[in-house]
Amino acid sequence: MKMGRTLLIRLSAVLVILILSVVLFFIGKSHTVLVDNKTVTVEGREIAPLKLVEVSVSKQGALELTPRDRDKFEVTGQKHRVTVTYTDDAWNERTITRSFTVPLMQDMVMVLVPALVAHPEGDQALWLENYEAPTYAVTMSESDEVVTDDMAGLITGI
Amino acid sequence: MTLNATKGQKLLRFLANNTVPILFLIICAFGIPLSGYSANYLVSEIIIRLVRNSFLIVSLLIPILAGMGLNFGMTLGAMAGQIGLIFISDWGIVGIPGMVLAMIISTPISMFLGWLCGKILNMAKGREMVTSYIIGFFMNGIYQLVVLYGMGAVIPIRSKSLVLPRGYGIRNTVNLIGIRKSLDNLLMIRILGIPIPVATFILIALLCLFVLWFKKTKLGQDMRAVGQDMEVARAAGIPVEHTRILSIVISTVLAGYGMIIYLQNIGTLNTYNSHMQIGMFSVAALLVGGATVAKANIRNVFLGVILFHLMFIVSPMAGKNLIGQAQLGEYFRVFVSYGVITISLVLYEMRKKREQAEAGLSLAAAQEVEA
Repeated sequence: MKMGRTLLIRLSAVLVILILSVVLFFIGKSHTVLVDNKTVTVEGREIAPLKLVEVSVSKQGALELTPRDRDKFEVTGQKHRVTVTYTDDAWNERTITRSFTVPLMQDMVMVLVPALVAHPEGDQALWLENYEAPTYAVTMSESDEVVTDDMAGLITGI
Repeated sequence: MTLNATKGQKLLRFLANNTVPILFLIICAFGIPLSGYSANYLVSEIIIRLVRNSFLIVSLLIPILAGMGLNFGMTLGAMAGQIGLIFISDWGIVGIPGMVLAMIISTPISMFLGWLCGKILNMAKGREMVTSYIIGFFMNGIYQLVVLYGMGAVIPIRSKSLVLPRGYGIRNTVNLIGIRKSLDNLLMIRILGIPIPVATFILIALLCLFVLWFKKTKLGQDMRAVGQDMEVARAAGIPVEHTRILSIVISTVLAGYGMIIYLQNIGTLNTYNSHMQIGMFSVAALLVGGATVAKANIRNVFLGVILFHLMFIVSPMAGKNLIGQAQLGEYFRVFVSYGVITISLVLYEMRKKREQAEAGLSLAAAQEVEA
């Protein structure tokens, strides 16, 4: 009876730790949100970039983008809010705020600012796309040596 | 006359018992003026070292309590911590959640390695230190096999920035920018311009309290009994082998956590070297603090970190100012690390023999009086 109780407590502890790990994974997972102000084609229609736009993601400081600008925000967790502030053709300041969800295992997503401004109520897929960093941007040189000797640093310094 | 002799003997005993800390105090006393560093700089550097190393060194205390000497096998825990960090770097888990997840990942690995180490050390009673040292080397080979050949090939690693250009194996350095100083910066205050990472100090204080509490528990008392005399402990019904294994498991798990705290402070993981250096430096720091193979406490940990790392900080600049080469200081500190372990072990053996001889003499004197 006592053995069974001990086993139950141990299994419960393991379960709690596993749940905690999953929660940590979700809340700690970092994503890069690129904000892009370039000409984009949405549903066959070409949308020009905005002359000057201010973008912020999840309470982080706003970034100003001019045409052909791209910048980034580092965020953790999946759910975020993007706020775009711009001046329209009638010189009225407009602000668009949309929530979006980053796929869990996606490292980078890109917010297409002109598409978001053109379709403020549109589906997330119209203005948010997954982005894969080019290989050259994430790999280092071919000559990355593996040093396994703890004295190597000293010997090369002679 | 007798009183004077006793005082002299007490002084000699004090000097003999604290040879290593006194030696280091002398080295530091010469090194500090030669280095030319300001007191403010030295204090802030010492605080960084305390934050970085204390947790790791505290993890050495429990095996000493159980009479297993200095656990050079702590490198096993360090390897487990590093594996946890490699995984969270690959998955992109950052900040405190990343650190905690790395600790959770390291725990079962540390427990398994600690259990294995404890089992082997039970087969090598009386030679625990050298055995654990060699186990560290042996396990380093397994670690290299897993990390250098398994990761990316058998164990999936997604991040191209972690994998070697050949497609498998982890790079020599892993950037821990995601968790860099995440614990230290959690609660940072400044006193006289010196940054104090309060959160890390609280964690270290909690560990110290845990160790103090643990010593008073049934298991802690069992470990003390095993450490004093295994046969007597066995006769008292204490499961000696099991208790010894537990002490190594606890130490290894704590070493894994300590390594994660250490590396979050540094911000870069030296995949194939970090764990090897840390075992030696932690043991050396504890010995510098006045600990012996058989006796160590929390005071030794902090005194050791302060003295040992003060020497680390001042020696390159002292070497440069004295001879014009900072490299001399680098050699000096490696030399001193090994040297201090040697001196401590020799002094411990000498002291043990002296105490045995004194005990023999007093027993003989007592028998003479009785006769």
